[in-house]
Amino acid sequence: MPRDGHDPMTEPPVLPDLLAHTERAVAAVRGLVDKAKSNLLNMVADGGKISAARLDRHQHSAHALAWLATYAESLAQMQHWAARLKADGTFGEMEQLLCQLAFGEYLNQIIGGLPMSQGEMARPGDMGLAEADIAALRAAAGPLTGHGNTDVARLRLAALMQDNHGHATFGATGLDDELEMIRAQFRRFTDSRIAPHAHDWHLKDDLIPMEIIGELAEMGVFGLTIPETFGGLGLSKASMVVVSEELSRGYIGVGSLGTRSEIAAELILCGGTEEQKARWLPGIAGGDILPTAVFTEPDTGSDLGSLRTRAVRAGDGYAITGNKTWITHAARAHVMTVLARTDPDSTDYRGLSMFLAEKTPGTDADPFPDDGLSGGEIGVLGYRGMKEYELGFDGFRVGGDALLGGVGGQGFKQLMRTFESARIQTAARAVGVAQNALEIALQYALDRKQFGRALIGFPRVAGKLAMMAVEIMVARQLTCHAARRKDDGERCDLEAGMAKLLAARVAWAAADNGVQIHGGNGFAQEYPISRILCDARILNIFEGAAEIQAQVIARRVLSG
Amino acid sequence: MKVLVPVKRVIDYNVKVRVRADGSGVDLANVKMSMNPFDEIAVEEAIRLKEAGKADEVIAVSVGVKQAQETLRTALAMGADRAILVIAADDVHTDTEPLAVAKILAGIVQAEQPGLVICGKQAIDNDMNATGQMLAALLGWSQGTFASGLDIEGDSALVTREVDGGLQTIRVAMPSIVTVDLRLNEPRYASLPNIMKAKRKPLEEKTAADYGVDVTPRLEIVSTTEPEARAAGIIVGSVDELVGKLKEAGAV
Repeated sequence: MPRDGHDPMTEPPVLPDLLAHTERAVAAVRGLVDKAKSNLLNMVADGGKISAARLDRHQHSAHALAWLATYAESLAQMQHWAARLKADGTFGEMEQLLCQLAFGEYLNQIIGGLPMSQGEMARPGDMGLAEADIAALRAAAGPLTGHGNTDVARLRLAALMQDNHGHATFGATGLDDELEMIRAQFRRFTDSRIAPHAHDWHLKDDLIPMEIIGELAEMGVFGLTIPETFGGLGLSKASMVVVSEELSRGYIGVGSLGTRSEIAAELILCGGTEEQKARWLPGIAGGDILPTAVFTEPDTGSDLGSLRTRAVRAGDGYAITGNKTWITHAARAHVMTVLARTDPDSTDYRGLSMFLAEKTPGTDADPFPDDGLSGGEIGVLGYRGMKEYELGFDGFRVGGDALLGGVGGQGFKQLMRTFESARIQTAARAVGVAQNALEIALQYALDRKQFGRALIGFPRVAGKLAMMAVEIMVARQLTCHAARRKDDGERCDLEAGMAKLLAARVAWAAADNGVQIHGGNGFAQEYPISRILCDARILNIFEGAAEIQAQVIARRVLSG
Repeated sequence: MKVLVPVKRVIDYNVKVRVRADGSGVDLANVKMSMNPFDEIAVEEAIRLKEAGKADEVIAVSVGVKQAQETLRTALAMGADRAILVIAADDVHTDTEPLAVAKILAGIVQAEQPGLVICGKQAIDNDMNATGQMLAALLGWSQGTFASGLDIEGDSALVTREVDGGLQTIRVAMPSIVTVDLRLNEPRYASLPNIMKAKRKPLEEKTAADYGVDVTPRLEIVSTTEPEARAAGIIVGSVDELVGKLKEAGAV
């Protein structure tokens, strides 16, 4: 806060004793979450249990709690990251600034209003927090609220960012050497094989060439976390995060293509019979079998439990009938994981079953050659490269062995078991997209001259770039945290949901600010940032829309 | 046949090099380091020889600081079979000179008896372009420098060299030293399976003393300076003014 006789521009950018302050701030924010949670419980509980009707009525407050808890976890992870780097002797000036700016900004957002979306703020009052609670947070945070996110710190960070050549990330990630080697190799691959073509694929609405899919298979992308006994590499989720991030940095379609096989594989690994694992997993791991997820219907998106596609017994197998939509990469896929209702008397998730339905990959002329299966393409703003389809099932036949796990009524549960990995992977994709936006915007800000100087010389431009780098590191650390928990065999639906929720917002902000830095040129389709804006938009919608994500987090926080 | 590939850890080619404030050299603190790009080409060529059945084992070797271990891990992940790290300096700013490196390499060659040594034609940090040639002299082996093509035919190697105005192909007797140029091949990316395998490959650690080599510098760096900044231009309003300015500057 500027005061008389005190020039904020002469302050040193990094606060002394930074990590002592951040440690206290983390504890204080956690305390605030506890308080908000207990206030919320008073609002939504009815006779000791959470009432759905009350939760509905107080949805804004509940989601505010979800976001507050997400910020608390984000700051805690930034603190862990900083402490790890410090112990390794790699907590350099850039890392210190990233950490300080993250705390400075997020603490002030917690106090003054945290954007759940551009037009909806989560404020302390929404969660019944009083002035005294906020005063306590301010006191614990020490100089972080007033002197954390300063002009000097942002401009210094932006200056360091211009001198970051050769490094894959702005600031050390804290990941081990092997993961960094994976990052370096995938970064090189992406820079030479993906990034130069991504914009062209997008503009022409082309499918990602099969040649690239072949190269991804050779790189080992499709079998990353599949166990070695099923032809995979048995690597960690943390490595999936690094690979997803780097491929998505080149093109979201490629980052998604590579690792969506993982999710199909996880569905089979968690829910399949030994025969099903042996039949499908090696092909998926090798990239020879491309899967597609067939869940959503025209009238059921987030509310999957109410879906209407039916599978009825026909001979030894089943006949599937119904309409599906938003089926990514459907034409070229070899196997569909289809969620359908097998119990005709049921109306909720309990009557649903999952099928591994083999299909014939289509061609441009005949995208869906199989009997009983038709489809039409959905034109989309971004996230191209695999194409989206509506599918019509009309008595489409599958064998008896196609029922996942061989038991009906398990479909929804089987699917839910993949949510953790899917959300971690989506968060990683978002971090990659955001990093791409930042790199492109930074280069533009260096190259483009106005009023006799490069755009980055204007503090608002430098500040935007600095805050992009800060939020990207926050989202990355949160995502890595969720992945580590998954690797340790711990439950991580909460952490994965938080990572997805935050990373999607960060990606959209980075893309939007990237366009803003480009000015009119950013609105021209010719410039890649225009594509990144379109690609980033999907991240807040698919794999759990932001509102659904907040709802799930709120429920978990309230019941935990 | 064994193939020995020396690799050097150098400042990454993307980095905008900064001179240290005291002019004593280049600032390497917090700077991204990578394998010398010409050495990557050498590793790739050696792996291709093995894949073609013309070599049995590829040994990567690096002489320098302990951190060069990362560079060797990359060579192993690309496909080298094992690695030798010779620690010759503690400070990342110390550049072991070509003659000392060549002497250490000669010691390794005596121990390993490779049929071929493939190295980058030069390191992109100091551009010495000397180690391969010095090694050939120390061993009394043939050498083929600046290779843009390499074929093994029995006891000899056919080396295509990029020379002014064209290509020259020479036949050298094996064992031989080949230094490689940019257009020999395009190095592969290390795939995930190979990164995994690399973890289990042996990396032997040695010191310069193990080969009886004194690495004390023989060269003295007098000064290091940044290139002069380009002066700002001026916009002229007419051809006459342009000619006038050029005359003023003594250019015409």
